[in-house]
Amino acid sequence: MEEQFIESRRRFIFGSALTFAGILSGFPSVNKALSELVIYGKENKVMSFTPSVWVEITKDNFVVVTVARSEIGQGVKTTFAMIVAEELDADWSKVVAVNAEGDEKYGDQLTGGSTSVREFWTPLRQAGAQARLMLIQAAAKIWGIDPENCYTENSFVFEKNGARKLSYGELIDTAIGLPVPPVNQVKLKSVAEFKILGKPTKNLEEPNIVKGKIIYGFDYRVPGMKYAVLLRCPYIGGSLINFDATDALKVNGVVGVYQISEGIAVVADNSWVALKARDLLKVQWDPGPNAQLSTDQIFERFRKSIVNLKELPKNTVKEIQVVYEVPFLAHSTMEPMNAFANYKEGKCEIYAGTQNPQVARIRVASALQIPKENVKVFVLNSGGGFGRRLEADYIVIAAKISKLCGCPVLFFFTKSDDIKFDYYRPASVHGIRAGIDKDGKPTGLRHKIVWQSNSLPLSPHYDIPDVQNSNESIWFGINEGAWRSVAYSQNNFAMESAVDELAYLAGRDPFQYRYELTNDQRLKRVLSRVAENANWGGGLPKGWGRGIAAFVGYGAYIAHVVEVSVSEEGFLKVQKIYAVVDPGFPINTENIKNQIRGAAIDALSTALYAEITIQDGQIQQSGFHNFRWLRMDEVPDFDIEILTTSDRPSGMGEVGFPSVSPALCNAIFNATGIRIRKLPVAKTPLTLGDNSNVQEKSFELIAYPNPFETDVKIEIIPKMEFRNHLNVMIYDFLGKKVFQPKMKFDGIKYFVELNFENFPSAVYYVVILQGNEKISFPILKKR
Amino acid sequence: MTIKVNNKDYQIEVEPEMPLLWVLRDILNLTGTKYGCGIGVCKACTVLIDGIPEQSCVIPVSYVEGKKVTTIEGISENGEHPLQRAWVELSVSQCGYCMPGQIIRAYYLVSKNPKPSVEEINREMSEHICRCGTYNKIREAILFATKE
Repeated sequence: MEEQFIESRRRFIFGSALTFAGILSGFPSVNKALSELVIYGKENKVMSFTPSVWVEITKDNFVVVTVARSEIGQGVKTTFAMIVAEELDADWSKVVAVNAEGDEKYGDQLTGGSTSVREFWTPLRQAGAQARLMLIQAAAKIWGIDPENCYTENSFVFEKNGARKLSYGELIDTAIGLPVPPVNQVKLKSVAEFKILGKPTKNLEEPNIVKGKIIYGFDYRVPGMKYAVLLRCPYIGGSLINFDATDALKVNGVVGVYQISEGIAVVADNSWVALKARDLLKVQWDPGPNAQLSTDQIFERFRKSIVNLKELPKNTVKEIQVVYEVPFLAHSTMEPMNAFANYKEGKCEIYAGTQNPQVARIRVASALQIPKENVKVFVLNSGGGFGRRLEADYIVIAAKISKLCGCPVLFFFTKSDDIKFDYYRPASVHGIRAGIDKDGKPTGLRHKIVWQSNSLPLSPHYDIPDVQNSNESIWFGINEGAWRSVAYSQNNFAMESAVDELAYLAGRDPFQYRYELTNDQRLKRVLSRVAENANWGGGLPKGWGRGIAAFVGYGAYIAHVVEVSVSEEGFLKVQKIYAVVDPGFPINTENIKNQIRGAAIDALSTALYAEITIQDGQIQQSGFHNFRWLRMDEVPDFDIEILTTSDRPSGMGEVGFPSVSPALCNAIFNATGIRIRKLPVAKTPLTLGDNSNVQEKSFELIAYPNPFETDVKIEIIPKMEFRNHLNVMIYDFLGKKVFQPKMKFDGIKYFVELNFENFPSAVYYVVILQGNEKISFPILKKR
Repeated sequence: MTIKVNNKDYQIEVEPEMPLLWVLRDILNLTGTKYGCGIGVCKACTVLIDGIPEQSCVIPVSYVEGKKVTTIEGISENGEHPLQRAWVELSVSQCGYCMPGQIIRAYYLVSKNPKPSVEEINREMSEHICRCGTYNKIREAILFATKE
């Protein structure tokens, strides 16, 4: 006990002085209490009470919760603070959450797999209850009464049946002298006693977000610091032959140009000078072994391996043999990767948004060949993570540059760097063979996944007999990493689409079919609730469709119904998304709704548009202009219901992703009869064009080549003289006008050549209006 | 040259073509304005120039000489603007990185149109990308801030 206590005090003196001073420098407005903490800390005065590494109580009655998982937009700081505050009976308006630095004393700090709440639920509750018990004991000691005669509320200890009360802040001097009770001996509240947990609670970070006061990695500043960017080989697996930095070094404000194994670093007085000088580097690259590599080739090779899926059982009367494909995806966080590093005399200090600070610490130590103890990694809030910041590449680069240039440096990726040098969500091809018996029940399922990774497909969450999974791993040298919901993002698309296909094969309703395919009551409940909320089976306007899909994972259950409409021209609109999520116990319903909505928009954006393609060994996308994301006018309305089914919470950051893309494609099938088996949806025309009626029209339309790469010719040949003005428009697949081409006329036909170089590869629609006639014709930009 | 940011004059010695974004962030230490894409697409870097939203990542600093620049740091003393209060009230943000730009755009919208409709909000705010997908909440917050 005594040891733990000493350790706690030491943490305050050293830990606070460093972490608070660090995190709060240039950050005066967190609140007054914390500014004071920094000052006290620097003077090494013990002025706060820290019974554990998680909770600190200050003299002015603030509760500071140290959060050892990284805030990447999932709300972990508010969530963890709520858990501690609940058991501590803290005044929520006086609770502050701060980021822990990367250190084993905090246990596992990897923010991934939606594990934070599940792993910290009990330890943080115990930490809160432990601190509360000690504060009660301190008050009892001061008053000379039995602790049993005390109770706590809003950061005060009260005397039962008495008038005396003391704030937690007033009790810390006494509490510091008490033995720390073991956490397994403290009593935790029952759910019925919760006052904070389970209620919609405001985001603690919001007041600073709206003032622009959050310090992300990009915003970390110290006097005398420099800014760095890196020029890297654009060929996957290529290398540097030589470079000439003469012109770059002439730029006023350039500090130096350095070669590291990842590329050529330019360090300058500010970001702009660094970028300008980088453009002046003359470089020769060796494209290496992948100079011809393309995603077309990769997919072709993957598809080749989908052969000979094993026979289904004998009772099979009908079967499907289908192939699903999903592309590589870039994380494309709002804040491109960056890190601040300050190497000095064998020690290195890092400030960065990272999902993996302990690993970053080890990687930096190893890259700089210094002991781990000489590296400090301070975690800042991330401008988005989604799995990208599990990698430490950008932190290691920053550290190397700081060592070479001998000054504190902020290294950053441009948006284009960020997309071209990502660790991508793996592309995969799924061969599925599945059948039904005479009653329409599944008889068996064969699922072969072919991708770069070496892991098996994930089994469906329905009761399907005789499931046989297999995989083949073919490596092309494309960096891969974690993505929101990791392999569920591919597998659940394939599984929930295939189950939908079986339902249609059996002539059954897709909701009823799923409902009967499971005995898991929690799965049944989310399915039936979402069907009810969405008025499943009720009428829809012409051209509309509904799709359903579910997901089980991270300790939670979710089902989605997506409603879409497809216009006569082929324009898709996602009208509404219904979600029912069963987290077990919902900690913060407001944040859960935000996560479910955000994950759905993430999944929709990627399913509709997103695709990383490779041509001639290079990543082709470079920014939000060619790696599109949904905007406000494209997002659907949401109806989200949260169920409470147990006393234990689950992970909420990823669960909302995997069932959205299959529900979307199932809805498109319901609306059009077109089954999307290849993502993104943007690559599949949702109408074949009004070709059947073309014969009756007074004009004929030809587009060639179609599909095309960058240029396409459009010709309109009138069968008789037009009496009305010819109106031609190009729309994207969501019905947004892209441009209006100017048609030329050569006496026989109207024609135009269109260049789509700056547009994402997707289906576009040529829509022609001539009097009362209208033709919509899909053209496909291949890549 | 002298530039006026949030009603304060700053004497700076930079090349005239340096984008306003980097002047704000690296020279003036006003880091509330964010770098998102650097080519004027994502709008995270939006600031007001004489009251009009512009992408500071593609605007040369010389363009703002003699004009008034307003950044997220300048729209209220301590976050008490109705839009900021609405954001806090509704917990709009997730990672929060795009929000300075979003709030600047919303500030412009409500300054010219104190009671915008859903369609007007959509039209104006669809300039911006939020990678966390907070759009529904942003719309809700603008309606909340302007309902009186």
